[in-house]
Amino acid sequence: MGNVKRPIVKRSLFSWVFDGNLRWQVLLLAIIGVTVFTRVLPLEMQKRIVNQAISLRKLDLLLVYCGYYLAAVVISSACKYLINALETHISQNVLARMRTALYEHVLSLPLSFFRNTQPGTVVNAIVNELTVPSAFVGSAMSSPVSNILTLLAFAVYLLWLNPLLAVVSLSAYPAAMILLPLLQRRANAANQQRVDLSRTFSGRIAESIGGIHEIHGNGAYRLEINKFDRLVEKLRKVRVVWSLYRFAVKSTNNFFTSLGPFLVFILGGYLTIKGQLELGSLVAFLSAQEKLYDPWKELIEFYQVFQDGKVTYQRTMEFFDVEPDVALVPEGRKPFELEPSLEVKDLTFRTDGGIHLLDNINLSLKPGEHLALVGFSGSGKSTLALCIGQLYKYSDGQVLIGGQEVSQLTKQDVVVNVGLVAQSPFIFEGSIAENLLYACEAVAGNDGRSGNGLPTLDDIIAVLHQIGLFADVLRFGLNALLTPDRHQELVKAIIRVRRKFQDRYGEKLSDYVEFFDENAYLSYSTIAENLTFGAANREEFSPVRLSRNDYFTKFLGDEDLLRLLINIGVQLARQTVDILGNLPPDNVFFEQSPMSAEELPAYRQVLEQLRRRQTRELASNDYLRLLDLALRFTPGIHKMVGMGEDLQKLLLEKRARFRANISRDLPDAFSFYSSHEYIYSQTILNNIFFGKTKSASPQAQEVITQNIIQLLIERDLLETIVEIGMHYNVGTNGDKLSGGQRQKLAIARVFLKAPKLLIMDEATSALDNKSQARIQNLLETRWKRKSTLVAVVHRLDTIRNFDQVAVMKAGKIIEKGGYDELIARKGALYELVGRK
Amino acid sequence: MSSLDESSLTPSCEYQENLDILRQTYFFSGLPLESLKIFAYLCTREKFRSGEFLFRQGDDGNDAFRLITGKAQLERAVDAGTREVRIIGAGEFIGGLALLGETRRLYSLRALEETVCLVLCREKFSKTLQQFPGQMPRIFTAVVGAISGWEERFLEELSGDCGKCLPKLGVSLL
Repeated sequence: MGNVKRPIVKRSLFSWVFDGNLRWQVLLLAIIGVTVFTRVLPLEMQKRIVNQAISLRKLDLLLVYCGYYLAAVVISSACKYLINALETHISQNVLARMRTALYEHVLSLPLSFFRNTQPGTVVNAIVNELTVPSAFVGSAMSSPVSNILTLLAFAVYLLWLNPLLAVVSLSAYPAAMILLPLLQRRANAANQQRVDLSRTFSGRIAESIGGIHEIHGNGAYRLEINKFDRLVEKLRKVRVVWSLYRFAVKSTNNFFTSLGPFLVFILGGYLTIKGQLELGSLVAFLSAQEKLYDPWKELIEFYQVFQDGKVTYQRTMEFFDVEPDVALVPEGRKPFELEPSLEVKDLTFRTDGGIHLLDNINLSLKPGEHLALVGFSGSGKSTLALCIGQLYKYSDGQVLIGGQEVSQLTKQDVVVNVGLVAQSPFIFEGSIAENLLYACEAVAGNDGRSGNGLPTLDDIIAVLHQIGLFADVLRFGLNALLTPDRHQELVKAIIRVRRKFQDRYGEKLSDYVEFFDENAYLSYSTIAENLTFGAANREEFSPVRLSRNDYFTKFLGDEDLLRLLINIGVQLARQTVDILGNLPPDNVFFEQSPMSAEELPAYRQVLEQLRRRQTRELASNDYLRLLDLALRFTPGIHKMVGMGEDLQKLLLEKRARFRANISRDLPDAFSFYSSHEYIYSQTILNNIFFGKTKSASPQAQEVITQNIIQLLIERDLLETIVEIGMHYNVGTNGDKLSGGQRQKLAIARVFLKAPKLLIMDEATSALDNKSQARIQNLLETRWKRKSTLVAVVHRLDTIRNFDQVAVMKAGKIIEKGGYDELIARKGALYELVGRK
Repeated sequence: MSSLDESSLTPSCEYQENLDILRQTYFFSGLPLESLKIFAYLCTREKFRSGEFLFRQGDDGNDAFRLITGKAQLERAVDAGTREVRIIGAGEFIGGLALLGETRRLYSLRALEETVCLVLCREKFSKTLQQFPGQMPRIFTAVVGAISGWEERFLEELSGDCGKCLPKLGVSLL
């Protein structure tokens, strides 16, 4: 794209009209030319039909003129459609580019901007506000050109017919042109207020949702609603005023355009009676007056779109018109390859309020040296680290990396040379692999698509091992489902592992695993799985569809199970809603629940219904919902209700029954669990077990993983499974990972990038002792002398081997030196360590 | 409801039992039912075979345990070997402080026979209490009471005869 240099906030609205759309605009112009001609032609035909064909009673002329008329109308309609299509194309094009450009600009804005800006404001601007100006851009050229041309053509034609009548009948329009802009200006003012208020409005909603805990915690619903009401009321008033002015513009316009025919009748009629005007001309005049209305109306509408678009665009761009602290990419050179020495001289960081968060900091690190920043929270450690990493713009002094002033470097220079692990790292929705490669891809290609220079699978696995994330990723892999068409070889290998597993560990792990046993009720499988004891080969028998499957529900009905299951569903729903009804949709709360957080409101409604009516009176949808819940019931996991032994026995009997029935009726519908076949509906791990894990406790996980790893190594399957695990989706904000896993992932992605200067801002605070020691060990063995490290440390038992330790207090470095040296001095560090 | 419906699900399920247990545990007993129900739902039962560790000295303490059946040996490794501290039996609650903040285990707890306990981890505990910010003081009250009570009993049992450890007394003054 050619317009990277000028940020979107500095561009005028008009700059979008031709930029990138020139071809389309020219094509549009050509079509408009044709349209104008086809709009005037019928007028002339009308006149001729009346004056020549009808009054002279010539049928052939009538046919010829009518033929022209029809052709003109057809072509005109087709052109109109084409014009609309092109306008839409242009406006959508521009909308897409505006959105991208604004998003790009917003991402580059300094962190300080976001401290005062609600996410809702950004969302509203990009999603809603930009649609108005882009609609204008679509018709910016075509609408005025085509309508003014049409009006002019009509005017010229009318003047040619009869100058006097033309002047009189067109005189209404100039009057309108004076009055309308006055009204429009009022409408604009109201629109401006509307845009500002909408922004506050979305910001407020985003804020309330973000602080919903606080609202619930304080029961401050009334308070919030009152605040909200005031805004709603303001916005309502402004919108009403805005709309009233808009309608006033429309009505005034309608009034003036309706005056036209009146003038034609009174003057034209008089002239015709006096014999000074032909009847055909009068007809032409009248229909021209009618037809003038359309382009005029379109012009007025366009005027409104233009005004709204202009105001919205200006307001939006003004809001985001903030300079990024640094340029994103260097101009005319490659990013610097900096020597990773660090020099901090008289560094000061002041807040807007004049508070010194950092005060005269001086530091010096040679390439490959490691520095630990310690001190109480609030002492400025993190601020210093973030200043070095260019995330904060310091007020005075210097930070030099390889002799280059950090504030003068472009973002790309920093990204290529510096790696940063934040205190609470952000993990994005996507797979483990995508998150691991996040930093590398950002360096490799700014578009995130080019794949050269990315780490190989071996590199990644090595880092996973080092960080201690390997077992986790392996577990994700083991919990994955395979598909029959893609993993045939793997499936065979897993069956072989299964046999080995049974022989070697079957007995030892029996406490942790519930093996699939045809003659036992499985507490860690769903009721549906217990009944079918097999994997569906047909989509309509899959677990999610089972409650709506006619064959299956008929079986349940025939066996007298339906009512029983519905009652289980009711009890499950009742207990679950009672326990989890007011909790946020966090995985911690819902992993032991038979219903997801999204489904809960629906079940709450079903229960509402049940307060007033019997289960058999429920709407079929609600009924199926309950059945579905019951079929999912897994007593080993969903502990809110228990399952008696007689029920288990009953379901076991029905299992045999179902098997007999379906083998007879639909033999290919299910593959029954068999120890020499792969079960695609179950995870890899369950396939190896030929059963399901009972406990999710860390101890159990560890025992299981250790034993499985051994087997997988023997069969050379380990890497394959890890690779599958890397496709595991971590959920929005990585919420399917534990805090420790998120932090390890963040460290791993920076380690993969292997930056020459590494900044770690309490990067291991969520890790357990063992993992923390492991990372510390890694830093000392693999990174010392290779990469320079600035680490903000909160646990002091890890800093013994750092080259330098700086103790901070109230924004100053109060002590600096080697660990042993400082301890021997019995100063601030000695005291800190002692306190721990 | 017919008799079939009644028998379909057992009236006393694990969740109900957990609820009863928590109500009898000092740490939780002051909490209102709305949050107790969530804890009863969230905590899990773990079985430890004889010889297995519930936790080990030096580990991060993330869980609290309430022994349901069995017994376990609390022990501490010192330079000279392992010192047996005491035996934790069914009904005892251990590790409550680990729910409140990061601690490192100063002792190991080893099952002496097959032991079943109720386990709750800090993440579940803190995320739940975030929903009921007003209830944290009740937990603190319970913990403060337990610490003071512990030292009071300790001092009574000592009846002033402590000798060398006297300067180290006063955990309730923390």
